[in-house]
Parts: sequence; C-alpha cells; structure tokens
Amino acid sequence: MRFRAWTAGAVLLVIALSALYGQRRGGRGFFDEDEYVPDPADKDEKTEYVFTRLRYPSYRGGSGSWGYRGSWTTDYPKADRHFVQGVRRLTRIHVRSVEHVLDLDTDDIYNYPWIYAVEVGHWDLSDKQAAKLRDYLLRGGFLLVDDFHGSIEWEIFMSSMARVFPEHPVEDIDNKDHILNVLYDLKDRFQVPGIVMFYTGRTYEQDGVEPRWRAIRDDKGRIVVAICHNMDLGDAWEHADHPRYPEKYSGLAYRTAINYIIYSMTH
Amino acid sequence: MFEFLFKYPARVFEKGEFVLLAGPPVWMLLAAIAAGCGFVGWLLWRRGRERFSWPRLATLGVLEAALIALLLTILWHPAMQVAELKPQQNVLAVVIDDSRSMGLAEGGSTRLEQARKVAEETVGRGLGEKFQVRYYRLNRGVQRVEDPKAPVAPQGSATRIGEALKGLMAEASGLPVGAIVLLSDGADNGGGIDLETIAEVRRQRIPVHTIGFGRLKFDRDIEVTNVQVAARTLADSRMSAQVTFRQRGYEGKKARLVVRDAGKPLASQEVTLKSDGSPQVENVLFSAGIAGPRTLEIGVEPLEREENGRNNFVSRLVNVESSKTRILYIEGEPKWEYKFIRRAIEDDRSLSVTSMLRTTQNKIYRQGVANEKELEEGFPTTAEELFEYQGLVIGGVELGYFTPNQQELIRRFVDQRGGGLLFLGGRAALAEGGWATSSLAELIPVGLSDRKGSFKRDPANVELTVAGRDSLITRLEENPDKNMERWKKLPYLANYQQTGAPKPGAVVLAEFNPGGTGKHPLLVTQNYGRGRTALFATSGSWRWQMTQPLEDKTHEMFWQQLLRWLITDTLPRVTTTTPRQVLSDETRVTLRAEIHDRKFDSVNDATVTARILGPEGVAAEVEMTPEPLTQGIYTATWEAEKPGTYLTEVMAKRGDQEVGRDVFTFRREDGTAENFAVEQNKELLEKLSAQTGGQYYKPEDAGKLSREIAYSEAGITVKETKDLWDMPALFLLLALLRTADWLLRRRWGAV
Repeated sequence: MRFRAWTAGAVLLVIALSALYGQRRGGRGFFDEDEYVPDPADKDEKTEYVFTRLRYPSYRGGSGSWGYRGSWTTDYPKADRHFVQGVRRLTRIHVRSVEHVLDLDTDDIYNYPWIYAVEVGHWDLSDKQAAKLRDYLLRGGFLLVDDFHGSIEWEIFMSSMARVFPEHPVEDIDNKDHILNVLYDLKDRFQVPGIVMFYTGRTYEQDGVEPRWRAIRDDKGRIVVAICHNMDLGDAWEHADHPRYPEKYSGLAYRTAINYIIYSMTH
Repeated sequence: MFEFLFKYPARVFEKGEFVLLAGPPVWMLLAAIAAGCGFVGWLLWRRGRERFSWPRLATLGVLEAALIALLLTILWHPAMQVAELKPQQNVLAVVIDDSRSMGLAEGGSTRLEQARKVAEETVGRGLGEKFQVRYYRLNRGVQRVEDPKAPVAPQGSATRIGEALKGLMAEASGLPVGAIVLLSDGADNGGGIDLETIAEVRRQRIPVHTIGFGRLKFDRDIEVTNVQVAARTLADSRMSAQVTFRQRGYEGKKARLVVRDAGKPLASQEVTLKSDGSPQVENVLFSAGIAGPRTLEIGVEPLEREENGRNNFVSRLVNVESSKTRILYIEGEPKWEYKFIRRAIEDDRSLSVTSMLRTTQNKIYRQGVANEKELEEGFPTTAEELFEYQGLVIGGVELGYFTPNQQELIRRFVDQRGGGLLFLGGRAALAEGGWATSSLAELIPVGLSDRKGSFKRDPANVELTVAGRDSLITRLEENPDKNMERWKKLPYLANYQQTGAPKPGAVVLAEFNPGGTGKHPLLVTQNYGRGRTALFATSGSWRWQMTQPLEDKTHEMFWQQLLRWLITDTLPRVTTTTPRQVLSDETRVTLRAEIHDRKFDSVNDATVTARILGPEGVAAEVEMTPEPLTQGIYTATWEAEKPGTYLTEVMAKRGDQEVGRDVFTFRREDGTAENFAVEQNKELLEKLSAQTGGQYYKPEDAGKLSREIAYSEAGITVKETKDLWDMPALFLLLALLRTADWLLRRRWGAV
C-alpha cells in the first residue's frame, strides 16, 4: 500500500512536471509548437535577405534542466516562416521563404549580416564564440535577441554578452531613435506576450513585468544588438494565424522586427 | 675655300642677283653658244668620225662645247648685284644672353664669358669700323647696354627671345638697323618665338644672325619635362602625378620618383630608367591630406655625378578643398550593399551621401538630408534641386520609377551640369529594370540587352584589367603588381549582373568571373558630355567588408575612391582657372572664370570680381570682363609683382544676389625657369636665322660674320656690282675642260 502510494505520487509528480513544461513550451493541441510546417516551393530561392537563426549552446548551470532541447529552437521554424511572409508582404525586401540556421563555430555567419537569437536567457557562449560574435557585429552584422524574461534570464544573457562587448553598455532605446521610426513609427509600444499568457493570465513571465526595448551600440553609435527583453516576438509571429492570439501583439511584433531589419540594412 | 674659288662669300650668291653686264643682249650669247657648239661639232664629225667611235665623239663634243659656252659667257661679263650695308651708316645690334643658363661653365669658362669674348674679339673688332654697334642684354626682354665692357653676371631669371626681338623691332623702326647678332644658348623659356614677331622681323628685312653657345647634349642628366597633377582635389584624396622626364647616361639604372610637400616626402617610387634621350612617363601616387593650398615638389631624385641637378624637380600647386561634396544615392529596395556603401564613406571628410531608399512600395527612407524638406517629395523634379548634388548613384531602380522629366534631368545632370553618375547592379537594375531600350541607355558605359535574367545571386571572383591596374579608383596597393594580386585575392562578390560589351571610349577597370562563362565587365567608366558615368555591375561588394578582417579597409578604400572619382571633376557654379598655376619667372597671370546659375545655364550678365591676397600684404580687386564669343566666360589679367602664393576669391553677382564664388590659389616662383632645358637649343637658333635671312654660327666660326654681315636689305644699303668673270673657279674650270679633252684624245690615240 505504501509502495502503491509512492508510485501514484511519483506518477502524479511526473504528470505535473510535464504539464508545467508543456505550459512553458506552449504544449500540444491548444498551441502546437511542434506542428509540422511544410517547406514552401520556393525554399531554395536566392534572395538578398535570409531570416537567420542562431544556434547556440544552452546554459546548463543550476539544475541543468534547460538542456532538454536546445533553447535556440524555440518557435522554430513556424515563427521564422510566418515572419518572413510578413516581411515579403509589407516591404520591398527580397526575402527567402525559409530560414537559415547557423552557429558561431564556422565563418558562414559572415554571409548573413542579420541574425536572430531566441531565449538568450538560456544561452551560454564560449569565449571563442563571443569573440566571433563581437567580430561579426563590428564588421557590420546585426543581432536581434528575443524571448527572455526577468532578472535571472537577464543575468544569464549578460554573462555571455558582457564577454562580447565588455566595454559597451546596454541602454534603453529612446522613442526618437531611428530604429523605432525607420519604417513604422513605434512610439506607442506595449508588452508582446508569449502564449504562456493563456495559462497564467499575465502578459509577463517570471519577474519580467516591464517590457524593455534595449540595445548595444558600436563605437559609432549604431545599434548592433537589439534586445527585446520581457517580451516574446517569436510567439507573436508563430501564432499570428491563431484565432485566439490577439492581432495587436502580432502586429507590433512584426513591425518591431521589420524596423530592426530595415535599420540593420541602412545603418 | 669658297671665297678663294668664288671670290666672294656665299651670302653674295644667296642674296645677290646674277646679271650679264656686256652690251649685246642675252639672246646673242645663246646664239653665239649655239653657233660655236655647231662649228665644233661639225669639225669633230669631219675630222674624227673615222678615228673615234660615236660615244667617244660625243664625249669630246660635250667637253669642247662646254669650253666654248664658258668662254662666251665670260665675254658677256657676268656679275652679281647685291644690296650691301653702307659703312658707318647702319646700326648693328649685338644681343648677348645673360640669363642664368648662360652661367653654366663648360670648358673652363661660362657660356656668358665665351659669348662676351666672341663679341669683343670677333664681332666688335671686325664690325666696329663698319657699323655703329649697339649692345643689348637679353633675358626677360632686351635692355641696351651702354658700356659693353662692364662686368655682367648671368642673373637673368628667364630667356624670352621672342620678347627681345619685339623690343628690338620697336627700336629698329626708328633706327637704320642693318642686322642683329644674337649670342645665346637658345634656351628660351618664354614659349618660343611667335609667328607675329617673326613676321615683323621679316617685314623689316633685318637678318638675325645667331651664335650658339653651350653643349648640345649633356652626358649625364635627368630632366623633368612635365608633371601633370590635378589642380584641385578634395581633402584626403589619393592623387596621381604623371611625371614626364628624360635622361642621358643612366640607362637601366634605378631612380626614385618623389613627391614632397614643403620638403616633407609624401610619396616615393622606384623606377628603372629607359633609353637615353627618350621621354619616360611614370605615375606616382600620394595623399592630398588636409584642406589647404599645397606647393608640391615633384620629380626625380638626382643621381650621382649629374651635370645639372637643378632640373630634377618642378613645383605644382594643388588646392585641397575643404568643402563636402554631396552625392545622391537612390536605391530601389533594402539591400546590404546600400548599408555598407553608407558605412564605407561615413569617415570620409569630403564625401556626403544623401540617400533615398524605397523600403515599401510607397515609402521612402531618407538619410543624410540637409533638412526635413529635402527629397520629401521623392526624387528631384527640377534642375535646381538635382543639380545641388555633384554625384548621383542609381541602385536597383527600374527606369519606370522616373518620370520622363526626371529622366531628362538625369541626362542633363551629367551632360550639362558635369556631374558623375554611377549605376549599380541589382534585380531591378540595368536590363532588369528596362534601361536597355531607354534614351538613358547611352549614359551606361556598356551595352545592354533587353533579355531578362542578367542578375544572378551567385558568387563571382574579381580581377583587374590592365587599365584598372593603374587606376586611382581601384588602387588598393601602391605597387601596381601587388594591387593586381590583392584584387585577385578579394572575397567573391555576393552577386553580379551580366551586361553587354563596353561602349567605344569606355574603360573597363575590373571584370568578374562567375566561372564557366568567362569574364564580364564589372567596373566600367566613360566620359559623357561634361561629366562622367560608371557602372559597377553588382550589389554584392559588401562581402569584402563582412568576410575580411576588421582591420582590412579594402571596402572603404574602394568605395571612397570610386565616389571621389565620380565627383572630383564636377563643375561648381563658379569655376576659376589659370593656364599656369605656378608662374615660373613670370608675373602676368590670366584668370578665367566660368559662371553658371543653379540650373547650370551660362550666366552672361554677372558682375564678376576677383579679390587677390598675396605675399607681403599684396591685396587687389580685379574686375573680370565677359569674353565676347563664349557664353558665361569672364577673364582678367593681373601682374603678380612679388614672388609667393596668392589666394584668389572670385565672386559672381547678379545685382545684389550672389550667383556663386570660388577660391583658388596661384603662385609666382622666381629662379626656376632657367634650370630647365639648358642644353643649347641649336634648332631654335638655326630656325630663327633661316626665317629672317640670317645665318647660324658656331663660336669658332664667328669670324666669318664680319665678312658676311654686310649683305643685308635692311637699314641703309647700296647696290653693289660684283664681277664674276675673274673668279678663280672659272679659270680652273676652263683649264679642267681643256685638260680633260687633251687627255682623252691622247688616251684614244689621237694625239
């Protein structure tokens, strides 16, 4: 009897942890993150701009539970493909219909001057990778980071970023900055929540109540790292076609990232 | 010998007229000759036909007929009638060059000392009794010398033989000048003798006799004969000086081309000297540096044992301008090339790119605008608006984006305004954008086909052509060979656009090779109207920035050099020029201003003033007057009294409204002209004598002058008759004919 009670308790615990994990990842059924996304017919088209997703090593400190699946894959590839459809429709940028994944261990990154890194609250760059990222950004590359929340993930993000740009501070982007006006006027911004909002009823995660549009500039004052902290643009792109995900969040997510792309192609 | 045989100097025969003084007319002489020849022939035929063959008979006949003809001619009293200067009634002008080149020592004495000696010993003594001799000094002009024995130093800072002759002709109009004797090395540096002066000398029939001094060729010398460098440039520009020089005695040796600014070397380059005497042209690159006037010394470092080390460098003035030039860049879609071009020139102090980028179908993102209104309505629609820019870059924009009016403005921007236009490759550029069949296709330096699919996002390697090896646009390394190698090692382009062949007159500087289809034009330039156009058939050079180390500046250098080339020669509204920015031992400067309004139409009703500030407080205001036959051109001449640099501001006004202004500098330098071309210019002296009826003499032959100079048609002359019948040459000829006749008869057995 005692054994059966322990067994039942263990099963319940596994179920509860699975549910929690499912909530964090969006779960299956209601918001299916692992939905099959077919390759479009023009997936091999050679274009000027390619949505490039950074594959990075995940943080394994503490419990190490973050290493279940690489955090870099979050919302992949549906968010990427939804987003580039919007870029195609809304701008004159020649965009490929499918994303490209690369890491900081080869020089291929230099062929793609714009990269997107998701859940950087879980990344853990080696010194070599940090040096390459720094070199990439100083040569003219641009990094957009997104979908990390609260003070703990911020610290994890900065532990790598501080090795990329130890001398460059992170600053909040002023409303008048070109990056917020280059195509869309983004003075009135609000927090873009992930789908966790549907489980928690809140637009924020952890203690990341306040959305922060932040940046790191190079020596000439150009933004080279755009930081979307306490928001989740990736979910807003991914679920832009979902009837229950509010359009206003997807709209802002699209406009923000489009501005960031055009800024990176003009500055 | 000539005078021994013919009794008189050759000039008597050159200048005189042959006459027969005997009473009977000439036809009687001819008849007598004919009769005499006939009689001789009859006698020979009668007595000699059986003893001589016909050829021998004919030979003897010719000899005897010639003898008879000669005797009969002597009987008719031949003579020369020639004009001869009347003794003591004519002036002889003796002109001695005392310019600095006459101070060169050769054979133990200077040229001037040699000339004075010849003048004193030969000319003066021989001719002083026959003529009133006047002595003159020749350098910038001509000045009379009262005491020919007074010591003279070779200090003249220039040799202007033409100016001197003009002065002498003016003096000769009131004097009976019978002849001019010029003692000089002929090293004229005043531009030679103009036809007008020669015509005046000929009109007055005054022969100019020249005595040449100095060696015809040095054994060991390098002389810079010309340096071409742009008179204006932008700050930090890379410049090229084309140095022309020739050498003797150093063939195959190494020498060093040098550019110096106020004694400080800016650039140097080693060259191998070519064959003796042949002109050699070399280019040396240097950086213009910060804004301001630069007096550059450009030339070849003197080599060991050079005989004249003062002709190795020349001065050139370059106005390095501080103004920022503006380039309008229109791009049809967001692309990496756009961003990286903007980044490449952002540190350039002289270039400013104003760009308009079509981010969406109906939105334009402007950068680098001077104010909120600039380009607010899109691409300029008026000449005033577009012509504010000096350069124009058209990226991937289809032709249809521009209205017909804007297309015409683009053409006029190059043709009339003199702007630079660069076409870039792209998926909506060139043939892909419908440019092939437009009237603007002639602006593109290559032919285009109307076939689609010319733009490809595939890698392509780049190579320089021979023209690109030395071009300022593509120069990444000072050494041309290293430059070629560096281009070969550049990362591949991200994309390329195939075009047709370059047009006649266009220059291909670089080609791309995508593999499999051979090489295609990548960077092509051409001149068009008053401006210039170029094609860079890719929008994928950004890889040169992204895929090379951060320290590598290839991408920045290339784009800065390309865009500077695009606008360097673009006309400002007021352009001031002068034929020579460095006045070498000259004082007169000619200013020429070209005035345009904002539409770049010529302005003919402006008030144009040049304000000149010179050394030692020199200040002047000069009104410039319109040239009657050319539109929008104003000129003025001014005397720069003091050596030094002169700053000139030219301002054009219409009423109270300023049309434009320009600032430039010129410089007067003394004591340099006489360092160059100091070998004896025998050709010039000979030509001068020949064209005026005089004679060229070597110093050792100058003694002949006293016997020949009298035969002149200038001054006060008398017609003299010179008998010829008693010339030794005639008697010698008679004797020769008779002797030959006798010897032949003896040989043939008749005597």
